[in-house]
Amino acid sequence: MKKIVLSIAVVLFSLVSMAQKAEFYQAMGEALPQYGTCKSVADFQALGNKFEMIANVEKSEWLPLYYHAHCYILMSFMEQDATKKDSYLDIAEKSVKKLVEMVPNESEVFVLQSFLYTGRLVVNPMERGQEYSGLSGQAIGKALALDPTNPRAKMMKIQMDMGTARFFGTDPKSFCPQAKELLTKWDEFKPKSPLHPNWGKDQVEGIVKGCE
Amino acid sequence: MALFQFWITKQQKLKAVKKTFTTIIAFLICLGGFAQTIIVGKVSEEKGEPLPGASIYLKGTYDGTTSNEKGEFKFRSSKTGQQVLAIEFMGYDPIARNVELKGDTIKVNVSLKEAFNQLNAVTITAGTFEAGDKKRAVTISPLDMMTTAGAAGDVYGALQSLPGTTTNGESGRLFVKGGDSEESQTYIDGALVPVPYNSSAPNMSTRGRFNPFMFKGTMFSTGGYSAEYGQALSSVLLLNTNDMPEEDQLDLSFLMVGVEVAGTKKWNSGAITGTLGYNNLKPYMSLAPQNYHWTDEPESTSGALSFRQMTSKTGMLKIYSSIDNGSFTVSQKNMAAGGQLTDYKLGNDNAFINASWNDKLGEKWAISSAASFTSNKDNIHFDQTNVIKKVQGTYLKTNLSYPFSEKFILKFGGELFSKNYTQNARIGSEVHDNSFTNNNFAGFTEAQIYASSKFVTRIGGRIEYSDYLKSFRFAPRWSTAYKISDKSQFSLAYGWFFQNPVDDYLLYTANIKPERADHYTFSFQSSANDRTLKAELYYKNYRDLVKLNGGAFYLPTSYNNTGSGYARGLDLFWRDKKSIKGGDYWISYSFVDTERDYRNFPHKAVPSFASKHNLAVVYKHWFPGIRSYPGINFKYSSPRVYNDPNSAVFNGEKMLAYKSIDLSWSFLYRPNIICYAAVNNVAGFKNEFGRTYASTPDVSGNYPSAAIEPSSTRFFVVGVFITLTKKGSANQLDKIN
Repeated sequence: MKKIVLSIAVVLFSLVSMAQKAEFYQAMGEALPQYGTCKSVADFQALGNKFEMIANVEKSEWLPLYYHAHCYILMSFMEQDATKKDSYLDIAEKSVKKLVEMVPNESEVFVLQSFLYTGRLVVNPMERGQEYSGLSGQAIGKALALDPTNPRAKMMKIQMDMGTARFFGTDPKSFCPQAKELLTKWDEFKPKSPLHPNWGKDQVEGIVKGCE
Repeated sequence: MALFQFWITKQQKLKAVKKTFTTIIAFLICLGGFAQTIIVGKVSEEKGEPLPGASIYLKGTYDGTTSNEKGEFKFRSSKTGQQVLAIEFMGYDPIARNVELKGDTIKVNVSLKEAFNQLNAVTITAGTFEAGDKKRAVTISPLDMMTTAGAAGDVYGALQSLPGTTTNGESGRLFVKGGDSEESQTYIDGALVPVPYNSSAPNMSTRGRFNPFMFKGTMFSTGGYSAEYGQALSSVLLLNTNDMPEEDQLDLSFLMVGVEVAGTKKWNSGAITGTLGYNNLKPYMSLAPQNYHWTDEPESTSGALSFRQMTSKTGMLKIYSSIDNGSFTVSQKNMAAGGQLTDYKLGNDNAFINASWNDKLGEKWAISSAASFTSNKDNIHFDQTNVIKKVQGTYLKTNLSYPFSEKFILKFGGELFSKNYTQNARIGSEVHDNSFTNNNFAGFTEAQIYASSKFVTRIGGRIEYSDYLKSFRFAPRWSTAYKISDKSQFSLAYGWFFQNPVDDYLLYTANIKPERADHYTFSFQSSANDRTLKAELYYKNYRDLVKLNGGAFYLPTSYNNTGSGYARGLDLFWRDKKSIKGGDYWISYSFVDTERDYRNFPHKAVPSFASKHNLAVVYKHWFPGIRSYPGINFKYSSPRVYNDPNSAVFNGEKMLAYKSIDLSWSFLYRPNIICYAAVNNVAGFKNEFGRTYASTPDVSGNYPSAAIEPSSTRFFVVGVFITLTKKGSANQLDKIN
């Protein structure tokens, strides 16, 4: 009898905690598909705010912070005004800093950090080029060291190498075989959960298209 | 964990269980039933303008939304009872409201107040040109200092394209707003640099001792600066060295005048860089026509060691040390010997150590300490004269700052500067040995008070005591700035500035007092979209300047403090990085009206270092196709005055106007290889800096003279910079020039 009561108690307890978690999965599951419908800075801001709200509740989860920063980085790329670009990136940077402390061994976090630095660079390539291209490259290096199979890290590396090649007048197409291989093997990489980062295939398709 | 598994299976499966599942959740967590409350409202800023993009949510829940274009929002929540509604938007103070959810509709209209943020708040810009802070719209950046044509890789050369400065081709030093070159001081990481320039022959241009590549940021203040800085009547230049290098690397520089090798080793929390350099101007001078005859072309050997260590998460210790040995022999016309060419020989030994430490003490206190030690020796031979000049300087400073609130920051600190100067002169069989030691003690305090993000005042004072001059001085400083719009602001600055008389006088007397200048500065600055306009009006009142009363220079009684003077003017600066795609230009114009009565002046007169109109036009253009960054620079200074002892009018003669067109070309060959070429005064304008006269008249009663010319009409330089890293992609883009 005692055993049964205890079992019921355990089941009930885990159900309650699961239910709490369930709310998190549900909220994330509802927010993530909205990426597809975001078209403007305002759309991404609304979505980013949603992720921030989730992050405020789920202090131990890194994914909502990740997507919050990701939205604000995307906003900076869509925005024209340099001051606004930087202010979006300031917000993204705060979340990226938290992420680096929270999950220092997560490859995806450094992919995002590299993306953030690229955003900074774009604001003023002439003056920021040297510093931020270095920082961005370092972040990608870390991401690949933590997970050599991370397709997003590979993609950013290819983008960066092609950019450098274009700039220095060497042939960017020498990186095309790498891009094609990445695309064919893209689906081999399985994210740890449907909530984990899974973007980038479109971009690689774009690169491969540019190769033809 | 079981639930987690659900989520990694496919969406269809998920849907199947969703219903049951939601029921369980609802049952377990929605204790208050299913009644939903609707929360609607509008978010605006203080003036009533709607704020789109604000985040509105119930704290600790997933219920919330974002305001639309009209600032309006609407969302539902099945929560009940007392809840906290949070309204947040970047750049504004967040608001939290208690609301009671009873299943009906709640209407909440809020206005958010703009958050106070020092980065966006008004800054004091009177008299300052700041560079390096990425967040602020900078008027001139470190890269500019490197790529400005005409600077030839010299920090001081680059600053001479900014308003407030006058180019003196026979000196190369900084002359700011009607001030003499001794009136400017240089600080590296907060520590004073007593000997910032290389030693040069009389009437020949010099350069700064420090490689511009060392610095990540600069602040050049041409007046009204903080109480932290003393012993400067005209300007302070604050140079901040680079932080941690990114990786191990080897830098090689090949210039036609010398080579430099620098190796950097990095570890987790620190790094060390060793630099070796050798310069010899002989090959260059044999190619480019020179106006003077060099018996021994300038040659120098230098070594430097720089060390960085993180002392905590927030703390950084930086040490830089260098030794330098240089020499040259140049033939100059000896006016005392009928104008015959006579060798002027100079040997220089310089050792310099600079250390700084910055950290936080606890949550709020911040400390910054700096120290420097300098030993400099010049050994000069000219005709029958041999002079050895030695300077030893020790500088110590500690600052503490404490923010009582974001809007009230108090800073205070103390400083010691000890200087020993010795001069041993042999003139034929005569021997003159003189020296002095001065210890300067100073303390300062300053409060920075923000009345709002639009209005800031910085008020402080400085006390100084010189034990050699037995003088005690108090210097008040005040500046304030008001932002009239997002883009424009006014600044005002006022202060008293003291400086001990020049070393050459202190050698012979301690019976004089520090000289004084009062600054009044009014400035307007407007910047938007990569365009900046800055206009500044100033007035400087000089008093207690040292005068010679005509007695022998070695007698203490020959000196007094009865001199005085003024300088007033207008500085204009316009920079535009926007209008021309890939192009970037600035125009700097300074007008200065100044007179002074000091040193051996018979009466008040315009000093020879001041020119009334100064113009600099700088243009740079990035050509991505050829990965080149060429620049062109035009400079003009109206004729300065000089004194002809044959004339009855003091400082009554005029030099030629100074004109120069300079070109530079940087080419990024590979990510890690940069080629660089530059020509100064490409058009070959004739520049002359007055005449030098004999100290005694010849038999006919005339003082014989010779023209003072630049050492060459044109100057050119060609170089290659290579960076080697493990990765192989770092470059020396900021090393151009």
